[in-house]
Amino acid sequence: MHVSPEAHLANVAHGLGVFYIALALMNSIAALYVWQRLKQTGTAIALTAFVALLAMVAAAAMGGMPPEMPAGVKAVINNLSGPVTYTLGTTVLLVVLFVGRKFFSQPLVAWAMLNASLVLMGLSMADSNFFSIVGKPDNVPIVAMIFLVGYFTWLATYRAVQNDERDKQGLPPLEAMEDEKEKVLVWPDLVYTELICMVALTAILMIWAILLQAPLEEPASAVKTPNPSKAPWYFLGLQEMLVYYDPWWAGVVLPSMVIGGLILIPFLDYNKKGNGYYTIAQRPFSYLVFQIGFLDLWITLIVLGTFLRGPNWNFFGPYEFWDSHKVEALNNINLSDIFWIKVMGQGLPTAPTGAGAMMKLWYILQREWLGFVLVIGYLVALPPLMAATVFRSMFVKMGFIRYMLMSNLLLLMIALPLKMVLRWSFNLKYIISIPEYFLNF
Amino acid sequence: MADPKKMSVADILAAARKKDSQGGDAPAVKPEPPAEAAPPVEASAPDAAAPAEKPKPKPAPAGKMSVAEMLAAARGEKPGAAAAPAAKPAAPKPEAPAKAPVAAEARPAAAKPAAKKSEAAAGTVDTSSILAAARTAARPGPVSKSEAVAKVAEPAAKPAKEKIVAPPMPAKPVYAQPKAAAADEDRRSFLAVMLGTAMGLGFASMAVVGGLWSLALARFMFPNVLTEPPSRFKVGFPANFPPGSVDEKFKAQFGVWVVNAEYNGQPQIVALKSVCTHLGCTPNWLDGEQKFKCPCHGSGFYKDGINFEGPAPRPLERYAIRLADDGQLEVDKSKLFQEELGQWSDAACFVPV
Repeated sequence: MHVSPEAHLANVAHGLGVFYIALALMNSIAALYVWQRLKQTGTAIALTAFVALLAMVAAAAMGGMPPEMPAGVKAVINNLSGPVTYTLGTTVLLVVLFVGRKFFSQPLVAWAMLNASLVLMGLSMADSNFFSIVGKPDNVPIVAMIFLVGYFTWLATYRAVQNDERDKQGLPPLEAMEDEKEKVLVWPDLVYTELICMVALTAILMIWAILLQAPLEEPASAVKTPNPSKAPWYFLGLQEMLVYYDPWWAGVVLPSMVIGGLILIPFLDYNKKGNGYYTIAQRPFSYLVFQIGFLDLWITLIVLGTFLRGPNWNFFGPYEFWDSHKVEALNNINLSDIFWIKVMGQGLPTAPTGAGAMMKLWYILQREWLGFVLVIGYLVALPPLMAATVFRSMFVKMGFIRYMLMSNLLLLMIALPLKMVLRWSFNLKYIISIPEYFLNF
Repeated sequence: MADPKKMSVADILAAARKKDSQGGDAPAVKPEPPAEAAPPVEASAPDAAAPAEKPKPKPAPAGKMSVAEMLAAARGEKPGAAAAPAAKPAAPKPEAPAKAPVAAEARPAAAKPAAKKSEAAAGTVDTSSILAAARTAARPGPVSKSEAVAKVAEPAAKPAKEKIVAPPMPAKPVYAQPKAAAADEDRRSFLAVMLGTAMGLGFASMAVVGGLWSLALARFMFPNVLTEPPSRFKVGFPANFPPGSVDEKFKAQFGVWVVNAEYNGQPQIVALKSVCTHLGCTPNWLDGEQKFKCPCHGSGFYKDGINFEGPAPRPLERYAIRLADDGQLEVDKSKLFQEELGQWSDAACFVPV
């Protein structure tokens, strides 16, 4: 349902007022803590000023006039939400956060970032298009997930930065200091905690079920697919992968590879450090590979699939109306088309009519030779090359088999962003395309 | 340390880690002496000296270290072995007398008689002197982690070219050694056991029930009555489908679009199957853009069914269509025609107009 902006403002004004009051309360507690415990009077005063601002905003929202994101900012964000800028932007953002982790993991900086994101969300909620997507009961867990992932990533980075600093000074990690915490009793320590968690979780679920309507839809029909048709939220990364790959690859082979690769990690990992404590500096390769796979190729793709993919699986900015008639030219072509038609200026090699199966296969191989060379070169020639250059020490320490497994899994993982960029930049559909045998890569 | 029960948790941990780092066979806390392998009478001096020397490398730096620091040393070899003594340069000297009882305690009680021999051979039990002897002598046998690191680090220190050395394979602990097969197991008795016991009976009945279930399931796949729409149906006269039209009337019931479009320059009426060739969703016909568009992954098809955008690897499929005797078009869903296999040139899949 599309409501007018005024009606939408009236609808959300009260809820946004409560949201800003909660934010103000949260920050006043933080100000008290900073003032009393950390003895940082300046920061406490800044936080108090922020609380006063939030109180004014909350009053305005309660009065029916919640502040809105300026239209110019919305337009800029909408324009920036194209696939290329989104993917590259999130990657650059994660790289910046990683490189500057010493600064960003400071508690006060992290607190400021959390506040900024919450205020940004409050401002955006006043937009009816944004609200209709983010406020959908289906998508509430994803909003929660964004903040939870942010919190836990911060927690791990914070501890890891401290431990790495201690390691530089020759001190043991923090976890080793708390030797009195080494042994905890199941009863009462663990069972008690679990009981509290259980009660809290049940309460949250009940409140959730009462407050939010179940997102039920019309009766299912075999010939009518909802538009857009979305997988469960935790599979949206896989669904996004399906846009760039053949269903056989993105639906069966690559997910199995992900599971198999995760199982293989203990056998591939030769680095014995980082056991039982947080660290980044002692296991940079493992840390980076995991975070690329988890944050960059899973979480950001879930966010993309939830908030930016609209009707007909087109891209929409977060403040854009989901118009099912939005026209987007996405004509894409295979590598063999580019090579034979665009570069060579001739038609695709086609078997003469009435040719036998072997002859047809020969023509298919001829048609796709460049794709075969590229894919085989990528998966077969690149690992030895990397072993001789960037992964020299890893190759020696891991041995041939473990190294080849690791490098091939890594290359297949990196193939996804490569294919995404190729699709968007060059409209490249498949590198190897043999629809006759359902083999496309 | 003679009595494991009196040790704190942290001590046990440290001892266990130390033991682990020394190759798993250091008898620091072992209740049984090495005499198990070689009787005490025949125990030669080097044999007995080996266990006595084992606990030394760690207690020495651990002289004034806290439990936490010992733990850390055991975990990260480098900072522990190298940095801890460096951090406290003055510590070792005054600690020497205090360390001696530690070393003596560390010796297993039962190993005392054997150890005495080694004391006689070594001359003194002073920790620092034993340490010095242990450090200088190129003694055989397993080396501790810190020593292995030192050995590896020496050639690596050469500035010429960095040499990467693979870490040594860890020794298999006792519990991981392969066990000898039990003698009374016989593969010839397997069949008899399987058939003649209650377990065999259970498996047999399970197989029977499972087989019956499979048969029932197979029967279920062929129902007596099918309440499906007929696979062969009439859609009307060709005049009902003007050039350039896409008829969606039959999509809901039959999953078919009747399209009057040009293919390879030839105008024809065809029946397109309304299933996306990517992953089987049902695309929508967008009249404004004149294309079929799949809502699941964004595949797009031209009016004639040819794929042009999104991930769909091949065109939509055609059903057989023909002009029936009464002049109406008749679609037969039992036959499919795929463009990429060159089947669209078959006259059974289109009606020229």
